[in-house]
Amino acid sequence: MARLENLAEPMRSHIADLPCPQFDHTPWVDVPELANQRIALISTAGLHRRGDRPFGGMDGDFRVIDGTSQAEDLVMTHISTNFDRTGFQQDWNVVFPIDRLRQLADENRIGSVANFHYSFMGAADPSKMAPSAKNLAGLLKGDNVDAALLIPV
Amino acid sequence: MGALAHFLEAEGIATTQISLIREHTEKIRPPRALWVPFDLGRPLGVPDDPDFQTKVLVSALELLGAQSGPVLADFLEEAPAREDDSDAAQEAWSCPISFSDPEQAETDLEKQVFALGREMTELMPWYDKRRKEQNRTAVANFKPNAAADLLSDYLLDRSPKPDDPEMTLAVAIRLAVQDLKTFYYEAASYQPGAAPPTSQEFTRWFWTQTAAGHLIRSVSEKCKTEADKSLQMTGKAFLVPMGW
Repeated sequence: MARLENLAEPMRSHIADLPCPQFDHTPWVDVPELANQRIALISTAGLHRRGDRPFGGMDGDFRVIDGTSQAEDLVMTHISTNFDRTGFQQDWNVVFPIDRLRQLADENRIGSVANFHYSFMGAADPSKMAPSAKNLAGLLKGDNVDAALLIPV
Repeated sequence: MGALAHFLEAEGIATTQISLIREHTEKIRPPRALWVPFDLGRPLGVPDDPDFQTKVLVSALELLGAQSGPVLADFLEEAPAREDDSDAAQEAWSCPISFSDPEQAETDLEKQVFALGREMTELMPWYDKRRKEQNRTAVANFKPNAAADLLSDYLLDRSPKPDDPEMTLAVAIRLAVQDLKTFYYEAASYQPGAAPPTSQEFTRWFWTQTAAGHLIRSVSEKCKTEADKSLQMTGKAFLVPMGW
């Protein structure tokens, strides 16, 4: 389990010693009720559509995932070899819960599912993601997204 | 992950997130986060359990109803485990395709390449059947035989060349290793008469009992001796998991 104290060495120390960025304050955006929100998924699992550029290194760029994608369309090229991939190989929803999100929209528990979703490669230096995130925010607004669910791996 | 939440929220997009390492999230202080106690690689907990996945998803989305933040909530329910998840049961899982006796690990590189080919031939029918019946494979960039060829060519100094001219050899080797492992998992999970292996069972089997695991170790060692820094780094960090 991902309780830090339960991870075996040398993985535990590796994770514990990863540098974390510090922020002076936490920004906050108010949103409408969940039942009226349009939601996008943003993964850091290094996901992309089959045929799109694989994640080649530690760049902070992202890949666009069409909201109509099916499980067969999505692959993972995250650089790390230190996390489980068999869950994703069995069921993409354990990493990218798009079928569950679609189900919530069908049940009117959320407003709607965005037309596009996105993935970064989470081992990248956060400072390299900052310019990409600015561009991404523009794309999300263009898709009328109210809120993004960020999912690590 | 938490930094990305800061960046997006500062640009006017509300965020909520799943957290796998609580200690990191405590330091980064993103606006809204749900810590979950699941394995790395499984942020929604467990595959093929829509009800449980929905429970996790809704718990993360409900944080968007908070009036102020930062909010760091805990999802304390463990992911459902297989009925018999004991160490003994995990030790008992096996996949009878290993020709290589781990006690007599072959050292000659050509023998390693031959053993890999033999092993993959045995696994291919199960992989093909799974792909046909599930209409999906997570093999991404290299078809199984192409992945094996690239790694074998590298090991035997036969001028390995990725099909994509823009792909460096270091990236190609990493992606080929990932695809080879995916092929092995998908094939092993479809062997007749056995449940799919757990992540732990698969990892133990792959790295201690297969010719593929043995050959990848050799590739990793060779990469470490290269003058090319990206190949060196690939050999050191990106092919064999920590602890194996």
